[in-house]
Amino acid sequence: MKNLDAAGSNSLLEVADLEVSFASSAGIATVVQGISFTVARNETVGIVGESGSGKSMTSLAIMGLLPPKAKTTGSIKLHGEEILGASERHMRKLRGNRMAMVFQDPLSSLNPYYTVGMQIAEAYKAHRGGSMRAAKLVAVDAMGRVGISDPQRRVDSYPHQFSGGMRQRIMIAMAMCCEPDLLIADEPTTALDVTVQAQILELMSQLQNESGTGMLFITHDLAVVSQVSQRVLVMNKGKVVESGTTEDVFSTPQDPYTQALLDAIPRIDDPIRALKKVEMGMVSEA
Amino acid sequence: MITYLVRRLLAAAGVLVLVALLTYWIFFALSPDPAVMICGKTCTPDRIDQIRATLGVDQPFMTQFFTFLGGIFMGRTYGSGEGAIECAAPCLGFSFQTNQSVLDMIAERMPVSITIAVGAAILWLLIGVSAGVISAVKQGSWWDKAAMMVALSGISLPNYFIALVLQYVLVVELQILPFPSTPAFGEDPLFWFQSYIMPWSILAFGYASLYARLTRANMIDTLGENFVRTARAKGLSSMLVLRRHALRPSLTPIVTMFGMDFAGLLGGALITETVFGLNGVGKMTSDAISKNDQPVIMGVTLMAALFVIVGNIIVDVLYTTLDPRVRTKVA
Ligand SMILES: Nc1ncnc2c1ncn2[C@@H]1O[C@H](COP(=O)(O)OP(=O)(O)OP(=O)(O)O)[C@@H](O)[C@H]1O
Ligand SMILES: [Mg+2]
Repeated sequence: MKNLDAAGSNSLLEVADLEVSFASSAGIATVVQGISFTVARNETVGIVGESGSGKSMTSLAIMGLLPPKAKTTGSIKLHGEEILGASERHMRKLRGNRMAMVFQDPLSSLNPYYTVGMQIAEAYKAHRGGSMRAAKLVAVDAMGRVGISDPQRRVDSYPHQFSGGMRQRIMIAMAMCCEPDLLIADEPTTALDVTVQAQILELMSQLQNESGTGMLFITHDLAVVSQVSQRVLVMNKGKVVESGTTEDVFSTPQDPYTQALLDAIPRIDDPIRALKKVEMGMVSEA
Repeated sequence: MITYLVRRLLAAAGVLVLVALLTYWIFFALSPDPAVMICGKTCTPDRIDQIRATLGVDQPFMTQFFTFLGGIFMGRTYGSGEGAIECAAPCLGFSFQTNQSVLDMIAERMPVSITIAVGAAILWLLIGVSAGVISAVKQGSWWDKAAMMVALSGISLPNYFIALVLQYVLVVELQILPFPSTPAFGEDPLFWFQSYIMPWSILAFGYASLYARLTRANMIDTLGENFVRTARAKGLSSMLVLRRHALRPSLTPIVTMFGMDFAGLLGGALITETVFGLNGVGKMTSDAISKNDQPVIMGVTLMAALFVIVGNIIVDVLYTTLDPRVRTKVA
């Protein structure tokens, strides 16, 4: 798995020298400063960093969803094809289809006015066409796959009628319904409580194993990133300060910032031990 | 839902009685003696007493009020014996000025006020909402700036001022429109339209300005919502994102406001009708106020309150179908 990312040609996503800046009257704020990384098929790459370090801006840049006034330079390649600066029309075909995104707050990320079934169905229909009714059937199926019981009935419920964990499952169902090659998860479990968080992580890795989706997993929770990702990037103030296999970064952090991040965890030994266990578990599973 | 409606209707009835009591108190108890007014200049004290008795204003305040209230539900009889006047339910009394039944007066002028309100509402909804949506989507563009400038003037310029200027320019100087009047639709639809277009536009201008600004603000808020980002992340076309995901949440509050505004207008467009001399409920009200015609004022106030309260209930019920979050709470 480690070798996959080194061989660029196998990369699903290649980001090179990505820079995102905002021009304002106060000057130019560069919030992402020349970061580079790759994500391969079936691989999970974690991005950690504290609030404001540019994690979301990076993921939105990949999706082409940055606010219009943001200026982006560098290169973003999906399957070797440059998508930075691609037309909106072209990006629309990729979004939700080849690459999909799960956001932090599932309640505000779902439209309160429409049933969850409709919201999953429209994502499917946007790319696969067909009738809304047929898409609804796909939605029922997708909801079942993310572990929502009685999906036939729940498909016509509204977002506010679900719990936080169930809503995030729906977001995942929506993101996965067109079987994307790349899934970007921007703090998908931050708004959830710990037990639910574990369930969602479990679900995501299970879906990934089934579909071989490459995943970019963004979080500020080191324990989470150690659980899910094979490789990790540590971001600070818009820059990647350290990257490598999760194991290396966590056991022998090189950068002072990473060390400080790890030190900030109450018992520094725990995540590393936990990490090793999980890493081994994942390897044997794969 | 049924219990909710029953509860709302009961509350509405309570509010109406309260409004009636308050209006009655303000206009009947604190106003000059209607008997003196009716009696005219050549009047003897005996005659005044007689009129007082017929009107019932010699009774204590609460008795008067309950007689009035009773009249609405059961009808009442003014005076007794030979000269007694029957007033069937719902009885709102008779105008001091014309002796006409207040209910008849309102019914006679309602069509004009409804025509004005409906025409204006169509205009201001179409123009206000679409201007607001375009402004929000093209935020900061020249269109946005121009539209919002116009809207600001629509909110701050007084209605009657614009009305008088327009009337002077279009009717007196350029003569492209007739003097506003209230012809029937059937006889000459074109003339009907020409007669009403100015009152509609004037009335709609203020509301459209308000609605454009509100729609724009709502729309900008909604476009910043996470679920709009989700919709884009799904790969929906920008048109679909706008129409399906942004428009509906932005317009739902507008529906509420529209219900209230429209219901309020059915009680008469006071200024517009008066400025153009259109014989609707609004003009009747302003006439009644200037002549202290208490039964008319009372009747119109009650009717307007009824419209607003019923409008409010309709809007709230509608809201439960428009917003699923409210729906589950009510059901
Ligand atoms: N529209 C904007 N204009 C200017 N600066 C912005 C804008 N949006 C975000 N930023 C800045 O970009 C920086 C990176 O933001 P980003 O959302 O990527 O952080 P993050 O790492 O995702 O943090 P969090 O963990 O809080 O989600 C922040 O400092 C933020 O203030
Ligand atoms: Mg973020």
